[in-house]
Amino acid sequence: MGLGAIGAALGEGYTAGLANEGLALRPKKSGDILKNMLVGQAVAESAAIFALVIAVLLLFLGTETPYLLKASAVLAAGLSMGFGAFGSGVGAGFPAGQASLGISRQPAMSGSLSTNMLIGSAVCQTPAILAMVVALLLIFSDFSSMPLFPTWAALLGAGLSTGLAAIGSGVGGGLAAGASCEGIARQPLSLGNVTTTMLVGQAVSQTPAIFGLLISFILLFSGFPESTALSAAMAPLGAGLCMGFGGIGPGIGNGLTAEEAVRWVARNLENTGGLTRTMLVGQAVAQSTAIYAMVVSLVLIFVI
Amino acid sequence: MEDLGVIHQLIVPLFGYEMTFNLEVIAWTWIVIIGLLIFGYLAKRNRSIVPGNLQNLGELFINQFYELTEDALDRRLARKYAPLICALFMFLLFCNFLGVFPHLGEPTSDLNTTLSMGIMGFVIAHYVGIREKGIKAYIKGYFEPIFFMMPLNVIGELSKVISISFRLFGNIMGGDIIVLVVSYLTFSLILPPFLIGFFFIFIGAIQAFVFTMLTLVYIAVQVK
Amino acid sequence: MPIEGAEIVKAASLLGAGLAMGLGAIGPGIGEGLVGAKACEAIGRNPGEAGLLTRTMLVGQAVSESTGIYSLVVALLLLFVV
Repeated sequence: MGLGAIGAALGEGYTAGLANEGLALRPKKSGDILKNMLVGQAVAESAAIFALVIAVLLLFLGTETPYLLKASAVLAAGLSMGFGAFGSGVGAGFPAGQASLGISRQPAMSGSLSTNMLIGSAVCQTPAILAMVVALLLIFSDFSSMPLFPTWAALLGAGLSTGLAAIGSGVGGGLAAGASCEGIARQPLSLGNVTTTMLVGQAVSQTPAIFGLLISFILLFSGFPESTALSAAMAPLGAGLCMGFGGIGPGIGNGLTAEEAVRWVARNLENTGGLTRTMLVGQAVAQSTAIYAMVVSLVLIFVI
Repeated sequence: MEDLGVIHQLIVPLFGYEMTFNLEVIAWTWIVIIGLLIFGYLAKRNRSIVPGNLQNLGELFINQFYELTEDALDRRLARKYAPLICALFMFLLFCNFLGVFPHLGEPTSDLNTTLSMGIMGFVIAHYVGIREKGIKAYIKGYFEPIFFMMPLNVIGELSKVISISFRLFGNIMGGDIIVLVVSYLTFSLILPPFLIGFFFIFIGAIQAFVFTMLTLVYIAVQVK
Repeated sequence: MPIEGAEIVKAASLLGAGLAMGLGAIGPGIGEGLVGAKACEAIGRNPGEAGLLTRTMLVGQAVSESTGIYSLVVALLLLFVV
């Protein structure tokens, strides 16, 4: 919850800052900009609201079953949602801020800018939603039949894997969406191409979060044999941490590539195909470290 | 949710001594192959100057991928390898779309399919590299920039196979799991069609393209 | 349960392998993304040189990926050799 709130606050601060800049540029349109800023902030805040829902659930459900296993599941749920909301909160701030600024530059485009902002920030929320799915499963699944000893680490690893990996994808998706709002404001004709490129770029940036989810599910449901050895617990925990941290960098990196590609599609419309192709190849190569992290996690889970 | 148990099988064939045949995946792969053959036959049957619907679609694939190959390699090599690249894309695309149909799944959600495609691309890229540059220049490439970088260069080449095949596998498998779990959580009410549209159609098409482009790029890197 | 020295080493190497690959992936991931971003910018400015720029991008990414591959090697060494 705390982390989710920090992320949402950062995102909203960025939005408000750019909206004020826009207001300074064009005081007459203040109504439109203000409205847009509020909508954008509401979306950025939804990440924090997801975190709040989970926190409330934890408060009311966590106390009933005071077992160690339940405690680790609950802790993992909190971590997953907190980290996941952090990324999406920051990410959703970018399109909202750029859309507010864009409306001040190009008031006639306020409708399509708002639509584009909403689409872009909705995709930014995907990692937070994935993190919420994992958190809900952690809270509501019944793990009591599983052996305590390696399972507590597997649950913690499952939460960390999706949560941390979602940070990268959330921020990355936000970068691409921010650039698309900026581009549409500069060059209204580019609307269709820019939105398409943004969606393709964001979809690829989500990959690390999807890998994180894959590892989380394997950790949650593969069922580890009982063992009190320390190494049996460290393997699933290490797998979760590995995929989680490994997802941050590639997620942000993919977002950076998508951001620049979207920006240049807006400036140079004829070249959309070539730019999309280069973006995809660049993103795919930048993802390879996330894939190495996934391979190491799979080895930690299945081979060791 | 019991379907998630499928995951346990994934790692088994990697050990070598325990051959596991996943009959479902083999059947799905054959469906894709037969579908592609039928598509090819129908698209080619009534060839005319004014193309029909299927011929149009076929020409679209071939044109696009011929141009891509020509951009990455040169004209002579493109004539030779464009059919391979185009066939690879069409196979992967049909594979990723197969999950849309009820009771069928994507062959690409099995690591064996993607790994064999990745190894195929790797072998072809190195074969083309040796043929075009000659064996001496090819081996010399591993000792750049300094000779003791050789082991790391070899690992770098091998890790390409891992990254290309795990990327496709992870995306498709992840999409499958998300659709399954979210459908389970929402009691299959509203969301699943949209999720299936997003993950199977959109992500499937992008990842098929990425896989094909990377195979092409690996060939191009070996040639240059 | 008594915890032996060897057991601690084994556990630490497993956790260490995960952290090595996980943290090691952050830098190359962002770095390669920056390379891709600049390549897209350059192609946007000068579409005629797309082929050359893509090749340069791939070489640059391959070099910045090498630290990621070192992490992978270290992680696998920790897993299978230590």
